[in-house]
Formats: sequence, structure tokens, C-alpha cells
Amino acid sequence: MPIYNSYPLVIILLLFVSAFAIPIFKSIKMARIISISAAGISFALSILTLMGVKADGAYYFRVGHFDAPWGIEFHIGIIEGLMGVLFMTVSLAVLWFSVYSIDHDLSKKKVPIFYTLVNLLVGSLLGIVFSDDLFNCFVFIEISSIASCGIVVVKDKKENIKAALKYLILSSLGSGLVLMGIALVYSLTGHLNMPHIHDVLVSIYPDHSRNMLIAIGLFTVGLGVKSAMFPLHTWLPDAHTYAPASSSALLSALVLKAYVILYIKIIHRVFGMSIVGDLPVLNIVLLLGAVGMIAGSVLAILQKNIKRMVAYSSVAQMGYVFFGIGLGTTMGLAAAIFQIFNHAFTKSALFLSAGSIIEKTGKKNIADLKGVGKEMPFTLAIFTIGGMSLVGIPLLSGFNSKWNFAVAVIEAHRVELLAVVLISSLLNALYYFPVIVNGYFGEESLEGKVYRNTERPIKELVPIFALVLGVIYFGVSGGGLLSLIEAGIPALK
Amino acid sequence: MEHLLANYYETGAIILFGVGFVTLLAHGNLIKKIIGMNIMDTAVFLFFIAKGYIAGNEAPIIRSVKSASGYVNPVPTALMLTGIVVAVSITAFALALTIRVYEKYGTVDLNEIIKMGGE
Amino acid sequence: MNKIHKEAERSEILTEVGKVIIPFIQIFAIYVILNGHLSPGGGFAGGTILGASMILHRLIFGWDNLISRLTYDRVMKWMCASLLIYGALKGYSFLTGGMHLEVWDVPLGTPGKLLSGGFILPLNIAVGIIVSITVYVFFKLFYEGTI
Repeated sequence: MPIYNSYPLVIILLLFVSAFAIPIFKSIKMARIISISAAGISFALSILTLMGVKADGAYYFRVGHFDAPWGIEFHIGIIEGLMGVLFMTVSLAVLWFSVYSIDHDLSKKKVPIFYTLVNLLVGSLLGIVFSDDLFNCFVFIEISSIASCGIVVVKDKKENIKAALKYLILSSLGSGLVLMGIALVYSLTGHLNMPHIHDVLVSIYPDHSRNMLIAIGLFTVGLGVKSAMFPLHTWLPDAHTYAPASSSALLSALVLKAYVILYIKIIHRVFGMSIVGDLPVLNIVLLLGAVGMIAGSVLAILQKNIKRMVAYSSVAQMGYVFFGIGLGTTMGLAAAIFQIFNHAFTKSALFLSAGSIIEKTGKKNIADLKGVGKEMPFTLAIFTIGGMSLVGIPLLSGFNSKWNFAVAVIEAHRVELLAVVLISSLLNALYYFPVIVNGYFGEESLEGKVYRNTERPIKELVPIFALVLGVIYFGVSGGGLLSLIEAGIPALK
Repeated sequence: MEHLLANYYETGAIILFGVGFVTLLAHGNLIKKIIGMNIMDTAVFLFFIAKGYIAGNEAPIIRSVKSASGYVNPVPTALMLTGIVVAVSITAFALALTIRVYEKYGTVDLNEIIKMGGE
Repeated sequence: MNKIHKEAERSEILTEVGKVIIPFIQIFAIYVILNGHLSPGGGFAGGTILGASMILHRLIFGWDNLISRLTYDRVMKWMCASLLIYGALKGYSFLTGGMHLEVWDVPLGTPGKLLSGGFILPLNIAVGIIVSITVYVFFKLFYEGTI
């Protein structure tokens, strides 16, 4: 058995053990060293895993000494390998940036707890992506709920606690529904391992179709609450606005995505298109995704706080992902996964630069940020590239993502949905461009501002530049990633 | 109807799940929301464990050399132990946050807290 | 909001009964933890009982007695050490099982005996320590407002 087979388990163990080693040393410097070195080693291991899977194909890794239906297995294919690389890249960049920015938001005692929680969060998200056993996924879901509420509330202000409480209660509602879904599936089949459940479900489908419809419905609503599907997104604006900048970047870029990947795995690996194709579930997901794309953007236009605007934009972008899942075709699924990549890089860059602007100028409202382009040109440039990517300017990854969705819609013979994609791109422009234009241009905005007055030193902006480099790279050469995803989808099923 | 009465554990569990769900969403008081969350989680545990019961068999403990005729399925019990621990820790975390909210806002009613808003 | 509770005066009945009962509770907790693989119980249940005995000690004997034994730093060090031991044992078992390596494994023993069952006994002890410290920390958080 090649050695890279064990790397996913080593990554998760390393992240958990480093999270528990941090409280022993009480200094902030040791916390940063342990956390960032664990993330760095995991990043290298995840790249080696992806290269190994591309060469040799998908594999199962049994965790412990017992084989599949009695023990837990990990299934690592191309898609899981890609997700591992994505998660480690974004979290390494955010951790690197947080070295410079987290002292501003938190009191000195709480900084080691922040690093513990971030390591726990990324470890449990990777566990959700890699695991092939339903109850194991549930345990990792619970760990990630508590860790993500923790990184919101670690900053001690009044509205943080309210936002974290709302997030915790709605998140545990989602977990309760998912657990009920797992209970129904277990009572039908007696297995918890995904391929075994699939075999039994396919054979008993004609007698128990109503049971399976209820189970799929429970999973949809439960995972939809946790990954901000349209009408269930109400916790997201508060939680992502009031959290510290690094926490918002992690929450918006990574946490929502792991639950969507679990949902894709449940629909295609546990139930399979032969069962789900007969039920109306995918059409409902498509409808809610489309409404979310438009409603998220409309709500974002009405916001005055810059971070709240970016948070509502997250709701709209997650609508794209559900739109792609709801189409039901392989091309739609590939477009949804490409959008996951695009959104992770773009949104983390946006949140980090917006947080940087708020920290340095002290102003949160968009109306006060006129002329900030002269004071902080590089930071606003990062925000500009992120915004233009989400609008869909060519040569950036957002354009590739929208192009993929358009191709998927046409291939699925539902050309009327093309209008939804185009309208939401237009709406994105309506709220990103005013910030950019007012920042850089306009005579009365720019007077009285000194050039690069409150800018961060370039050394501190390097991590966000790395994320922006990812956006441009996927924009220029997105085809390679897309064909890799399409090659990986049959292994996912 | 007789199906519902024959599996009375599962029926009771679903009714409790509904009670907990509505309590979680409908009341404004934060403590009631946490109670509703606990009722909902407990209902799922009852459903899961009841599905493992086989009538006429004993608890899965080996007492002496002569073992019983059959045992109840031990897998749901072990899984739900993990679930109970998770539910307890989320309840503890939510209660700690509620105490902090009470200190800062002065009320535990979620509607009034949202109306107060502000920095 | 200050949460300084006025300690009630030492009640002799509580003190004398506590001196006798608390060791029995702790011995029972250790029994439940050690017999986790033979009868119902194990790390979680035994840890809760041990945590309950620590809470009882704190309630009866007051702040001065406990401040030297169960400070936040010492408690956190015990918990992190237990978590690291748990992680190391589990990591060893998972990696050797997954990669199909033929290395030394903890002997499985015979069912029904106390020192058998492979890794379950050390893991139960680690989980018992972790759960008891967690229960005690949450009680202190609610009772006094700070850790």
C-alpha cells in the first residue's frame, strides 16, 4: 500500500493534536508556531495526496483494524484530494495573515484559544470531506459547529455574543435534522457505510420510497441550514459581519463548503441518481438556489456596512452552488464544484481586505469609505480584483465559473435559466462597483487624503496577494481544473 | 393505525421531535429555545435506540459462561452515547453564551435583543 | 454583574458527612471507569461521577481549600496531557491498522478479565479524566462567572 494512502488521516490527526498542544504553552508565540507549522505540514501532505490520487486512482483507507461495514473507512478520490488542497491553502493563508491582524481584535488572553479553535475547525472540516461513514461525518459536523461558533465569539463584544448564539441555535437545529435523517437511513438499511447503504437502498426502493423521500428532505433542510441555502440563511449576515476578519474569511470560505460537499456525497453516493431522479427534491433545490442567487444580491445592495454587504454576497454565491447541484447533470455538478473553488479564494481575499480597511481607517460604512483608494491603494486593489471576479470580468475565475454554469444550463436543455445567471451577475456589479469607483475616483472624495497614509506594509499583504494569485490563476487556466473535476466525479458516485 | 400503535416507541419519538422543533422555533425566550433543542435531540436518541431493540432478547453483556439466547443490537446504543455527549456539550456552550448575553443586554428574550441591536 | 457569593458559614454536618462520602464517590467513579469494557459505564459515565465529586468538594469545603489544588492552569495541563495521550494511542492504532503494518499491538486478552481488551482500558481512563475536568470547569464557569 503506497504511503500517501495514510496522509489524509495524518493530516486530521496532526491538526487535532496540535490544537490540543497549544493550551499547554501559554505564550502567543508558541501558539502561532505550533498552529502554522501544523497547517504547513498538512498543506504539503495534501498536495502529495492529490498527486498520488491523480496517478493511481481513488482508494479506500480503513481507519483502524476492522474492514468496511464494521469499521470506519475513508474514501479519497480526486474531488476529495482537491478539496483537501483547497482547504489547506486557504487556511494557511488566513493563519499567516492573522499573525498581523488578530491582536487588534482580541484580548491577549484569548489569542491561543483562537488558534486552537482554528486548527480544530479545519481538522473537522477535512474529516467531513474525507469520511465514508455517515455517523463519523455527523461527529465531525458537531465538532465543526462548536469550533465555528467559537471563532465568532472569541472577540468579546456585545453583538458577537448575540450573533454566535443565533448561529449556535440554528446550527444545532440543522444537526438535529441530519441526525434524524441518519436514524431513518440506519433503520431502513442497518448499515452506516455509504456504498453499503447504496446497495441496500437500491434494492428496497420500490417498497419504501416515502421513507427515503423523508430522509432526503431531512438531509436537505438540515445541511441547507448549515450551508446557507436561501430561506435558511438568516444566521449568516450577523455571524460573518461581527466576527474578526480572519474568522469571517474562514467561515465564509471554508465552513459552508464542507457541508455542501457532504450533501453532494449523500445525494450521489448514498442515494444515487436512480432514486433521486424520480423525486422532486433536485427541482426544489434548483429553485431555492436560483431565488437565493437573486435575493442575496438584492439584499446586499441595501446594506450600508461593508462586511455585511460581503456576507450577503456569500448567500448569493452559495445560491450558485445549489443551482448547479439542482441541475442534476454531471456538467452541473462540475460547475458547482468549480464555483466552490472560485468562491473560497475570492471571498477570503474580500473579507481579509475589507477587514484590513476597517482596522486601519476605523470606518465601517460604505459611505465613509470614499477616497480610501488614495490612502490604501494596494488593499483596495485586492478588493477590486475580488469584486470584479464575482461580477464576472474575463481573465478572473468568476468569469470561468459563470461560463461553466451557462454551458451546464444549455446542456441540460433549460435555456430559460440562463436569464437567472445573467441577472445575478448584473446585480453583483450594482453593489461592488460603487465601493471601487468611490474609492479610487472622484475629485471631492480624494481631496484631503494623503497617498498611502494608512496602508499596511507590503509584507503583511503577501498572504492576501497569494489568494488573489489563485483567483487569477483559475481565471486564466480554469479548463485544467474543470477537466480534473469532471474526471473525478464518477469516483464520487 | 395499528402500525403506529405497534411501534409505540418510534411514534412517541416522532411526536417528541415535533414538540421540540416547535418549541425551538416558536418561543422567544432563550432558555426555552435551549430546552426545545434538548427535547428534539433526546427524541432522536429515543428513536435510534428503539430501532435497535429486538423483542425477547437481553442486554448485550456477557454475564457468565452460559450466555442468553440472543442480544439486543448494541451498535445504536454506542452511537447514541456519542450523540448524548455532543448534545450536553452544545447545551453547556449555549447556556454559557446565554449568561453572557444576559449580562450585556439585560434580557433573555431573543426578539427584544434583535430590536435592541446596535453596537 | 459581580458574582461573588457569600460563603455560608461552615456547617459541621456537611463537613463531617462530606469527609466520609466524597472518597466513596471517587472510588465508585474509578470502579465505573475501569470496568468500562465489562459492564455498562466507561469513560463518560465514570468521568461524570468523578466531576460530580469535585463539584461537591468545592461546594462543601469552599474556595480556600480548593484554590491550591484545582487551579485553572493545573486542570488545563491534566486535560491537555490526557487529550494528547488519547490522540497518540488512537493515532498509533489507526495508522497501523490502515496501512496493514505488522507491528506490536496491545494484547487483547480474554473477555471477562479486567486487564484485557486492548486499547480500551487506557482510553477509558483518559476519557474519564477529560470528562471530569470538563464538568468541573463548566460548573465553575456558571457558579462564579469566570474560570
